[in-house]
Amino acid sequence: MVAINEPAICFDSVSKWFRRKGQITHALADVSLDIAPGEFVSLIGPSGCGKSTMLRLVGGLIPVDRGEVRINGESAGEARRRKHYSFVPQHPALLPWRTVKENVALLGQLNKRAGAAGIAADAQLALLHDIGLGPFVDSFPSELSGGMQQRVSIARAFALGAPVMLLDEPFSALDEITRADMKYLLLDLWSRTGSTAVFVTHSIPEAVALSDRVVVLGNRPGHIRTIVDVDLERPRQEDIEDSEQFHALVSDVRSALKAGFDSV
Amino acid sequence: MTAPEFSTPPPEPSRRLRSFLMAIAPFTGITIFFLSWELYVRISGVRPLTLPLPSDVLRHVIENPEFYWRNGLVTFQEAFWGFWLAFIAAMVVATVMAHSRFMERATMPVIVLIQSTPIAVLVPVFLLWFGFSPWPKILTAALFAWIPFVANALTGLRSIDAETHELLRSVNASRWEVYWRLRIPHSLPYLFSAARICIGLALVGAVVGEFFNSQEGLGNAARVAQSRLLVDQLWGSVFVLAFIGVASVIVLTAAERRLLRWHSSQSVI
Repeated sequence: MVAINEPAICFDSVSKWFRRKGQITHALADVSLDIAPGEFVSLIGPSGCGKSTMLRLVGGLIPVDRGEVRINGESAGEARRRKHYSFVPQHPALLPWRTVKENVALLGQLNKRAGAAGIAADAQLALLHDIGLGPFVDSFPSELSGGMQQRVSIARAFALGAPVMLLDEPFSALDEITRADMKYLLLDLWSRTGSTAVFVTHSIPEAVALSDRVVVLGNRPGHIRTIVDVDLERPRQEDIEDSEQFHALVSDVRSALKAGFDSV
Repeated sequence: MTAPEFSTPPPEPSRRLRSFLMAIAPFTGITIFFLSWELYVRISGVRPLTLPLPSDVLRHVIENPEFYWRNGLVTFQEAFWGFWLAFIAAMVVATVMAHSRFMERATMPVIVLIQSTPIAVLVPVFLLWFGFSPWPKILTAALFAWIPFVANALTGLRSIDAETHELLRSVNASRWEVYWRLRIPHSLPYLFSAARICIGLALVGAVVGEFFNSQEGLGNAARVAQSRLLVDQLWGSVFVLAFIGVASVIVLTAAERRLLRWHSSQSVI
């Protein structure tokens, strides 16, 4: 059984290599990290630092080469079989032949044996209404803007309502104004669930605004440089970005990232 | 109070005319084609044996409905079953190939072999095997239609979005679920564009099969007409075959409209 103070996600000296066309890349070197249940953790770092690799190791989408990743005490593969992940990919990845509400229902309909059907159909509709997609539930993705498509993608993850959320730069393809809206929409939805969130991003303010902790990664091979604790109060609204504390945290993360670049 | 001027869009005087022109556009080309043909034959005085009046051919078809219905149905059925046989065989082969690089590499040379062989030369072989049954014609039609189907089915089943695939894997969707919920719907537009080509190819296959040895069908009707110099019957067979092809494409397009409402090829403008 899971102990009370057991971390939700545990990286235990994890290393990962990629072999592509005879070339071997050391993606992660001896990474250890514990993420508490209900915690929101961002992974930030330069390209190729292994932040997406870490996300995929948590999700059990790629195997660990050395060390161990445990999700609530079980292996990542086992957690995946039991549908313990709500995944938000970088692009909306909607099925173009399904309407908005059918896309939101998708994850619940797959892998039925796991018994995780997600929230009920009327709750899904209520969720879509909540996030401003009410008029579009019967639209096809091609009829929506990029920002609205990403909203659907986020709604799809929350409709499954898994205990672990994996977000892979979900806002990177959006314009600045849409991004700002989406951040606090995501926070609002997440705060209702109590799920553990791992968020990969390139944006320092985004990481600070969302997270309890920002994990700063360095590259070649990927490793944890430092972890910045974000002790901003929740619930957070957009105005926290004007606070001095926020700016101080942003500059903390930035200098940690810079130190990483200088050492290369 | 009158509404401010900017609250109504400017009028579009040519809108009606434009939609009318768009509606009749498909028929203008055909009409001009047959009118020029009719006029050319009448003015130039070319012998009917070389080129008959299209109006004469049409009259001949209308006056012999039973003959063309019977033979047209035979050819249509051969092409129809050949088309579906090709589709099913292509889906089976493409499904196996899409799931295994080894199978793809192992199968590709066979496909190239079939593609490069003039399929018509196999008709005598089919006759040896199946004699005077519809099967030689159905098999020829199927072989003609198979290559575009298998090529497009393979592309469609393979070219799924990597991130969407990963999303499905994140909930441990089975191979069957990925196939049924992602690969098959994704390949529908590819299959429809193959089907457009394959309708014509299946008809060619059926007619070629009938040329070799047959007592019925429009290919046979055309062959007999040629040997007896029955110009009207020869061209009548051509007309009815063209009609079957066009009607099939229209049915296909209607199915495509329904099934691919979501696809960009169906968007207005």
